Amino acid sequence: MNKLLALVVIVTLVLAALVGCAQGGQASQDNPTTQGTESPQSVVDQDASNFNTNREITVISRESGSGTRGAFIELTGVEVRGEDGTVTDMTSLEATIGNGTNAIMTNVSSDVYAIGYISTGSVNDTIRPLSVDGVAPTAENILAGSYVIARPFIIVTAEDIDPLTREFIDFIMSELGQEIVAERYIPAVLNAPAFQSAGHSGTIVIGGSTSVAPVMERLSEGYRALNPNANIEVHVSGSGAGITGTIDGLLDIGMSSREIRDSEMEQLGQQITICMDGIAVIVNNNNPITDITSEQVRQVFTGELSRWADIQ
Amino acid sequence: MSKHARETIMKYVFMLAATASIMAVLLICVFLFWNGIPAMAEIGPFNFLLGRVWAPADTPQLFGILPMVLGSIYVTAGAIIVGVPIGILTAIFMAKFCSPTLYKILKPATQLLAGIPSIVYGFFGLVVIVPFVREVFGEHFGGSGQSIFTASILLGIMILPTIIGVSEAAIRAVPDSYYEASVAMGASHERSVFWAVVPAASSGIMTSVILGIGRAIGETMAVILVAGNQARMPTGLFRGARTLTANIVMEMGYAAELHREALIATGVVLFVFILIINLLFNLLRGRKKY
Repeated sequence: MNKLLALVVIVTLVLAALVGCAQGGQASQDNPTTQGTESPQSVVDQDASNFNTNREITVISRESGSGTRGAFIELTGVEVRGEDGTVTDMTSLEATIGNGTNAIMTNVSSDVYAIGYISTGSVNDTIRPLSVDGVAPTAENILAGSYVIARPFIIVTAEDIDPLTREFIDFIMSELGQEIVAERYIPAVLNAPAFQSAGHSGTIVIGGSTSVAPVMERLSEGYRALNPNANIEVHVSGSGAGITGTIDGLLDIGMSSREIRDSEMEQLGQQITICMDGIAVIVNNNNPITDITSEQVRQVFTGELSRWADIQ
Repeated sequence: MSKHARETIMKYVFMLAATASIMAVLLICVFLFWNGIPAMAEIGPFNFLLGRVWAPADTPQLFGILPMVLGSIYVTAGAIIVGVPIGILTAIFMAKFCSPTLYKILKPATQLLAGIPSIVYGFFGLVVIVPFVREVFGEHFGGSGQSIFTASILLGIMILPTIIGVSEAAIRAVPDSYYEASVAMGASHERSVFWAVVPAASSGIMTSVILGIGRAIGETMAVILVAGNQARMPTGLFRGARTLTANIVMEMGYAAELHREALIATGVVLFVFILIINLLFNLLRGRKKY
């Protein structure tokens, strides 16, 4: 008798748990008033009507120190630079923190009220990128400079450069180099030329932006595979230090993740944009909002706007 | 080789094996304190332990870990509230009420619960408990479902095998004479179990709770996925919080210089927490009867 009772209880518990899961998963999709066959368009409409604009925005950010977060807060103005050299990250303290692009995407795809940001290279159909100021975060728009949450990765050199450095830059801008770049970023040249190494030997000293450094490391590995005579050192010091280092002749190539100022350009030989880094603001697929202004992006991530109704 | 020489060699082999774990603990202690204490001194012990703002990317940097200390304490307390009653009652049921057939299912089931990797628990929490909490409580209490509440439920489930296992062993260790005497005095089965056997096993049950606390406070991957990880003072049961462990794991990958040392110092604080818990455990075991 006891055995039977226990068995019944266990079965009931398991069933209840399963039903609970099923309901949790479908809650955002079910609409009890309309049933039967529906076209995909009306499914979207149903979801839009279920979307409660009075609900709080779930702001999802990356962890402090992440390159994507650094670029995002800099480009959107979430980061405030004071006159006295202070830098303050104004990201809302209520923001959920996900460590890694995948965590952000899982969070956004499971929460209708969520908003987050990821590198444009990682966007897929589990989430939906918003247009910012009416411009979609596509590769074309980012290269054209019309999508605002994007930054160029630039290299600078002095007036006269040795053949090895020249060849390394040619490699970066070649088909092979741009393929390496395209693994994470948007390549600057679409039909890049092929590359052939002349086998120069020597050392190239590169320094600058912490954001550009990882891709530069990959590029130097790719180049050394073709030209083992070359020795490439990549130092990480920040965009500003990379530019001044090149001006002072300490570096052969300087890396920068911001535009080069005219005053700096006067003392440099050339600047080349090797790729573009775009950051997409993403929402749940069932979120009816498609467009946001760059000012609203800043306000959402600093916590000044807290409800979806504020954005429409 | 003489028998005597072999004896001597093997003696040192065993001694080496025995000292390996002691060496590991010592090395970890030395590493933690060597790296952590200077950072604490540089930040200032009070600014570090009682600071309410954690902003390592700002200039000037701020390293206050009070939000994370409170986050860890709240989440662990929540896990105890959820896990201890269920765990102890399950242990009593398994030791004194369960039929042998059901026990054959229950025992492996609770042991299996201990074997599930914590990242799997975390993923389960993220896709099942988080949406559930958001749907049910989000309307009235706000929050995204990633909260102290969610983390407490998940950790409460995760500490069940520890509490059930140790408590059950403690209850079974109580001599049958306690139970038999109670029944002989005319008490029912239930009364005998709850008023004679369980109180006799109380120090063992307390040990299980302390081990559960240790498990909960040290848990990392599962908590990161469901707690929200906001590095600010906890603001409510249905709002997120960041634990000490989460703070270390999330930022270690990018940290450099003082930031990195501050994270190691966070590890020191966590280590001290665990030391205190172990001390309590040993104190209890010192006066343990069953």
